[in-house]
Formats: sequence, C-alpha cells, structure tokens
Amino acid sequence: MLMGQTTDSGELIQGTLEMLILKALLRGPLHGYSVAEWIQQTSQQMLRVEEGALYPALHRMELRGLLKSNWGTSENNRRAKFYELTNEGQKKLNVEAQRWARLSSAVAFVMQAS
Amino acid sequence: MGASLVGGRIRHASILKAEGRSIMAQNLHEFVLRLKAIFQKRRLDRDMADELAFHQAMLQSKLVRQGVSQAEADAQTRRAFGNPSRWHERLRELWQFRSLENLGRDVSFSLRVLFKSPGFMSVAVLTLALGVGANTTVFSLINGLLLRPLPVPESDRLAVIGIDMGNPQINYTFSEPLFRGIEHRREVFSQVFAFDRHTFQVSGTSGPESVNGQLVSGDFFNSLETPPLLGRTLTTVDDSKGGNPSGFGVVISESLWQRWFNRAPKVIGQKLQIDNIAFTVVGVMPKRFIGADPLQRPDIFAPLALEPVLDGSHNMTDAGLQMSWLTVMGRLQTGVTLEQANVQVAAATGSVVNELAGNPKQLARIRNRHLHFTAENGSAGFTFVRMLFRQPLRAVFAMCGGVLLLACMNLASLLMARGATRQPELATRMALGATRRRLIQQLLVESLLIALIGTASGLVVSPVVSKSLSVMLLGGQVDMQVDTSLDIRVFAFAALAAIVAAVLVGLVPALQATSSSLNAQIKSGQHTTQSHERRRILPKVMMGGEVALALMLVVGAGLLASSLVRLYLSGAGFDPQDLDNISLSLDKQPLKGEALLQFYRQLEDGLRRQPSVTSVSFAGIVPFTPFIWNEDMSVGAGKLETIYYNSIGPNYFRTMRIPIFSGREFAWTDTPSTGPKIILNQAAVKLLFADHNPLGQFVSKHEGNSTMQYQVVGVVGNAKYVDLRSPAPPTAYVPMTLDGGDQFPSYVAVVRTNGSAGPLADAARSLAMSMAPGIPAPLLTPMSVTVDESLSAERTMALLALFFATCALIVTAVGLYGTVAYATARRTNEIGIRMALGARRTQVVAMVFLQNAGEALAGATIGLLAALLASRALASFLYGISARDPWVFAGSILALSLIASAASLLPALRAAKINPQSAMRCD
Repeated sequence: MLMGQTTDSGELIQGTLEMLILKALLRGPLHGYSVAEWIQQTSQQMLRVEEGALYPALHRMELRGLLKSNWGTSENNRRAKFYELTNEGQKKLNVEAQRWARLSSAVAFVMQAS
Repeated sequence: MGASLVGGRIRHASILKAEGRSIMAQNLHEFVLRLKAIFQKRRLDRDMADELAFHQAMLQSKLVRQGVSQAEADAQTRRAFGNPSRWHERLRELWQFRSLENLGRDVSFSLRVLFKSPGFMSVAVLTLALGVGANTTVFSLINGLLLRPLPVPESDRLAVIGIDMGNPQINYTFSEPLFRGIEHRREVFSQVFAFDRHTFQVSGTSGPESVNGQLVSGDFFNSLETPPLLGRTLTTVDDSKGGNPSGFGVVISESLWQRWFNRAPKVIGQKLQIDNIAFTVVGVMPKRFIGADPLQRPDIFAPLALEPVLDGSHNMTDAGLQMSWLTVMGRLQTGVTLEQANVQVAAATGSVVNELAGNPKQLARIRNRHLHFTAENGSAGFTFVRMLFRQPLRAVFAMCGGVLLLACMNLASLLMARGATRQPELATRMALGATRRRLIQQLLVESLLIALIGTASGLVVSPVVSKSLSVMLLGGQVDMQVDTSLDIRVFAFAALAAIVAAVLVGLVPALQATSSSLNAQIKSGQHTTQSHERRRILPKVMMGGEVALALMLVVGAGLLASSLVRLYLSGAGFDPQDLDNISLSLDKQPLKGEALLQFYRQLEDGLRRQPSVTSVSFAGIVPFTPFIWNEDMSVGAGKLETIYYNSIGPNYFRTMRIPIFSGREFAWTDTPSTGPKIILNQAAVKLLFADHNPLGQFVSKHEGNSTMQYQVVGVVGNAKYVDLRSPAPPTAYVPMTLDGGDQFPSYVAVVRTNGSAGPLADAARSLAMSMAPGIPAPLLTPMSVTVDESLSAERTMALLALFFATCALIVTAVGLYGTVAYATARRTNEIGIRMALGARRTQVVAMVFLQNAGEALAGATIGLLAALLASRALASFLYGISARDPWVFAGSILALSLIASAASLLPALRAAKINPQSAMRCD
C-alpha cells in the first residue's frame, strides 16, 4: 500500500501516517530519514512513506506541539534534524492507537458478516 | 459508543472530548511558533534545505550501498524528490499564518484583476480622488484657518475675550484703557494679555526696512508658555510706562535672527534702531512660535506700553477709550470652565467699567452702552479673518459632505455594475468550492485597494490645491499665511472617508454579487434573460440620487458666482480700474502745517509728470479699507445727521472719476483763511437739504461742544465707502488744506494711470525719499486689489462652490459613463441580435442613451426641488440675486443635462459601432 499521497479528502491517510510517526519516535529521537526507514522496515516493506508526505507531516506535528526538534549529528557525522516525542505527543499516540484498534475491529466485524 | 464516518474522518464521541481540551493549547503553540518563524525566516529556510539535503544524501548512500552507481543513485534520488522549490513552498506554507497568507493572495489577485480593467480602475480612482481629495483640501484649509490649535502647551485653556455691545456681531477689539482695566483681574484668568499687529520701521543696512511684528502686553509670553531659544521673553516689567529701566527691549523671531544676524549667539544685547529709537534684542523665539494669531508670522515683539514711543504723536494709546485696537485673550484658571468664565466676565463688566478713568464724555458713552464681556474658545488663537468665514462655513461643510456622498454613491453604483458583470466568474468560483465568506473577503479587499489608491491620489494632490486656494482667498496679503500642511486631523478625516467608502460601498455589491443561485448565474452571460432586473433598482436609485446632488451643488455654485459677479458689477461709484493708491507714512516727520502741504504739492507735481500718470490727488481714507470717519452734521438748527467724512486733495473727483453734478473741486487755494469749504455727495444733500440747492449754503459740524461751519462748494455722485455691499452712505468731503496734518499726517496719493503702473512705484519711492529722507518706502496698491480684498469672503465662497460643483459634475459624468458603458457591454449580444434583425444604428444609440434617461430625469426633478429648498440657506449671503433665481436654475439644469447627455452618448455611440456578427458570437 503506497501511502502518502496527500489529497484533500485524505484526512484518514494523513491521520494514520501521523500515528505511525508517533509510534516510530516512541523509542527515542530520530531524524526524518530514520523514521521513514523504520516504518518501511517494521511494516515488512509494505508501507513506504513518500518524502512528500513525511516532511509536511513532521512539520505539522511539530507546529501542533506533538513533537519537538533538535539539530544534532547523525550516525555518519552529518548535521541532521532530530525529532522526539513531547508529552502531548505521547498522549496523542495513546489516543490514536485506541482509535485505530476500535476502527480495525469494527471493520473486521463488518467484513466477517456474511 | 458510536462511530461515524464523515468525509473520511472517523470520530468517536468520547475521544472527541479528550481532544477538545488540548485544541486550545495546540492553537496557542502553533501561533507562537509561527510568530517566531516570522523573525527567523532565513534560519527556517536554511534548516529546511538542510533537512531535505540530508535525507537526499542518506537515500543516495543507501542506493550506492545497494550497488547502484553514483550517477544512477543521483538521478533516482532527484526523481524521488521532485522539484525542490515546491517542497520549500509547501513546507514554508505550513509555517505561515494562514490568514495573512490569504490576505496576501487576495491583494495580489485583486491588483491583477483591477489592472486588467484600467477603465474601471481609473474611473473609480478619479471619483474617489475628487470626492475625498476635494474634501481633504477644503478641510485642510478650514483647519488651518479655524480649527488648528496654537502650537503652545495646553492651548485648550486659552480664551478670547470679546465685548458684546448688543450688535449682532461681538466686538473683538479693545481700547488700551479697557484692556488695562481687566489685565490684572485674577478671578477667572490666571493671565490676561493683549496684542496687536504692528509694522516696525527698522534701520537696516540699506535704509529703513519694514518688519512685521506685534506689540504685546506683559503677560503675553507667560500665557503662551513657550521658552525662548536665547535670552529672555518680555515681561510685565518691560510693559510698564517708560519701559524697562534697563532699556527698551524687543524679542525677535528665529527667522529674523537667521536673516539678519546669521544665527550669531551674541545677538542678545545687540541694538536695533526701530522708528529712530534704540532698542535692545533681549531674546529670540523658536521658529514654531507664532504668537496668538495663527495667520501671522511676527518677526519682532515689542512691549505694548512703548506704543506711544513708537507711533509718535498720533499714537493709539493716547487716543484712550476712543480707539479700539487690541486683541485680548486670557489663560483660564485651573478648574474654571469656559462657560463659567463667560458668565463671570460678563458679571464683572460693570465693576471694570466703573473703575475706568479717562475723558468723562467717552466714559459716559461707554457706560451708557450696557456692554458686557464675553469669553470664547481661544485654543486656535484669534484672527479677524475668521470672522469673515464663520457664517459661510456651515454651507461649505454641507457642500463637502455633498461631494463625498456623491463620490461614495458613484463608487457604489460602479461597483454594483461591475459586480453584476462578474457574477458568472464568482458563481463559477463558488461552484469550485470557494466559500461565500472568502469571496466577499476578496471583493472587500478589492474595494479597499481602490479606496486606498483613490485616497492616496487625492491626498497627494490636496496640499497643492489647498495652497492655491488659500492664495486666492487671502488675495494679495503677503504677510498672512495659512498653514495648510497635512496634519493628523486631516489625515484621519481622509482615512475615515476612505474606509467608510470602501466598506459600505463595497459591501453591498459584494453581498449582491454572491447571493443569487449558481446555475442561473453561470449561464447568465449573454444568453439568458435578465431575470434579476428587480435587483437593479438600487443602482438606479443611486444614479438618480447622484444627479440630484450634483444639481444642488451646481445651483449653489451658480447662485454664489452670480452674486459675486453682481457685486463687482454693482459699481463703486468711482472707477477702480487703473487707479493706484500710494500710501505714505509721514507720522514721525517734523513737517507740519504749511510745510507739510508744500510737501504734498511737490509730490503731486512730481507724480503728475510721470509718463503713465493722467491725474493725481490725495485722500485721507481709501474706500473699502477698514477706516471710518463720521461726524454729526446739521443745517443750521436742523436735525443732526451722521455723515461720513473724508479729507481729500484737489482734483480728487476727477482722479476717481466720480461725477460732479454742480459746483467745483477743491483747489490748493482753499485755505482756512478763505473759510472752510465742503463738498457733499447726493445722498448727503438729500438727507440735509431735501430738494433745495445746497450750493453756497452752510452746514454745521458738531463735535462735542463745538460747532464748525462749512460752505458747500460742490455736489458729487455717490461713492461706496465701507464695502461694495453697503449702499453709498451720505458723505462729506473736506479739503486737506484744512487739516494741516492734524487728523491725517499721512495721506494716500491717489493716482490714475493709463495702464502701466510698473515704473510708478519706483518713481514714487524715489520722489518721496528725495523730498523727505528717512520716511519708510511708500507702498503702492492698485485699487482693484483693494476691491478684491474687500470681497474675500464672497470670493472664497464662490470659489469653493465652483470647485465643489466641478468635482460633482465630473464625478457624476464619470459615473454615468461608467454605468452606461457597463450595461452596454453586457448587452452586446442583445444589441447584435437587434441589429441583425434590422434595427438601425440610431435606434440602438437611442436605446442605450435612454437607458439612464429615466433615473436621470427623476434625479433632476428631485434635485430641483431640493435645491429650491436648500438655497434658502444661502439667501443671506447673496447680493442682488434671489435664492430662487430662475436663470441660475435653468442654467444649472442645462449644464447638468449637457454633461449627462454627453456621458451617456459616448457609450451609446460606441454601441452603434458594434459589428452585429461579432456581437452575437460574443459571450
């Protein structure tokens, strides 16, 4: 599933991407590239985040206070912008995770009915 | 627990609540970050670039590790990322304020739209420039003249003190004893001061020079609370009889200090020879200090008590209660309001008058007049010019408002017409998703832009127009200046006008244009019928209203202009053309009696020999100047009549071209030894002698207890005395040989020339100087200038009214043109069809032309009725013409019709040139 085409009616997709980003940062600060890599790897190469969706999402979340950023050095000694979760971000992640769980079970119920 | 799917968003009731609490905090956080972003724009850009470059680099190295070549990795990365600038754009947008971003977009869009239709743009801007510009101009003028407060601290605590003598107009000049009577009273005012304009004859490097200045009382500088640049100001010590014991002191202006002393610091202590008396400069006032008369720029301030010293034997102080020459103002005590002050000074009048000392006869006269003092607002200082313009000002403000209203209505109908043509575009945008709110916002931005540009252009032109208007108003009086610079009040007025114009005027069309159903509008173009004709009533009403207003203004201008013309044509009783008045100043000369008359005879000779001169005489009083001399006269023991007087030289009537009906002119031989002679004008003869022949008869002049007999030697035509409006009063003329320098040491040489007066001024100067060196240079004033000046108020009114009427006509014409042009453009298709179906060009022209005929006619009728009613307000100001003069009304209607027709005809003619085929194809 290629996610990340941000269309006007794509709020669903956008919300899910944000949730995934929050999850990615749960374990500690990462720069944008690492976030995308982590999502791709953890989803068994099924979810590839387009750069065109990733960075707007990261910046949006930073604006809303879910993430905070810091400039640091990457593993190969390059200057990179690192994002990490704020408390708000943590709370939002929990909320979104719950919502997602409820949604997917609801969809499953409907699809299981004959 | 319910879940609903709305537009792709899944919401959960309980989750919503949890979110709600943090939304406020989120918004605040966003706001703060965005605000920071404005100041750190460059850093933000750099960071974004770095972040993306980093990602690209990581991607590239990953591809290289996977075995792709560097070049291929490069290409792939670039493909994956796409256009970098678009990235930056998108990311940057996130960090900007959305509303600002929207506003910016609106402004640039509006600008593009506006400049695409230059016709509409220029019409709208012109309308506003005239409407707002005209008003700002006049407002600046009125502000400079009447409203602008003096540049002194707490100017609102200043009051002007007047004398109410029971006349319709309050008197604002005091005699010296009367002023001294109230000067030291402290019940109402903490300080009371007086001042008067005075021309000082200062001995400069190149002979005597006339310098404008003021005589001021002791508390003048105290009350105006402005510290001097150098030295000190004049105090009550200086304003005492005999002056300051340490010498006569004067204070000079900064500009005089610059001109004469080159800003040398040791100006303090310098001596100035004023009127042949030594004065010392004790202080210099800064440039912004102009005293208490906003129209004056005095260069020298001298103590009031020294006036007798300066003016010599004919000084005004010694004239006591008879001579009123001082303007009096005061600074209110803290806590006293103006109304309280007014009441208290009125009550205190009695005690002041009782304590006066002086000539018992004059005292009695004053005490019998039952006068009382008044106090009025003096924050703008006092100038007598204000008296001229007070009455008409209400009319001027009404005209101002009229033009502004006209401009707004014009703009409104233009915008409405334009909105109508843009309906398809707006409807399409709404269909594509634009909210009504955004559209209206954009339309309002458009109107605001028009308003801004229009107002700006009006403001730019305003100071120039204002300056030229004020020059025309004050005529040749070069020592008066009206400060017409743009100040906060004027600017605020203009800005307010513009904003009101924009919002009110742009809102209605915007609402209208976005209100109807989408479908009908998108189609409407040229093919559907105009189903919303009824909504076009508002523009029709506006157009009608404009025509009405314009007609009223034109009628007003016509009435005032005709009145002015009639004033000029009313005849002065003498011929003011090619007549020059040369005023001499011989007050301080030792010449008296016979010697003085010799001087005048020689001067007459010398002047008569000049090439352009045809006739020379002398006069004590020049008509239309503010000097009046009257005496009580009777025939024998008959009734006492008040007769106006003038002292004249031989050949006066020939020079003035006043007809002599019987008898003769005076001659140099009419000396006191041959008995006093007198010449009467017809009005005086009628009053004193009824139908009898007065030649050879005697009349008596009664002055106090003495009587003087004069023999009548001539009867002349009536000439106007005070002004052109007042009919010629009964006047008696006495020969200057009788005077011998007592009443008038200085006469005015009245010279009739054959046209070229240029060299005359210099000739007169050199003549006078050679005969009596040391007198100030004589001043030449053409009589026509004096006449013009006496009519300043009427000229102002006529000028302003014409100005407004012209603006109104232009605005209306432009508006008519605009609306007809628009309507025609919309009907191009229809016109094409008509013409294809056989309509002749003339029919098409007639159809378009008559489009506006209905409302123009209605407007004209309403305007006519309104003008008939409103012109009554001008009645008191008009001369020789009724406020309902049929010629003026007819002429105004004609003018308006012509202009309206021309404005409607042009687009009609253009419509006729339409090629029917292209018209039908047009959409």
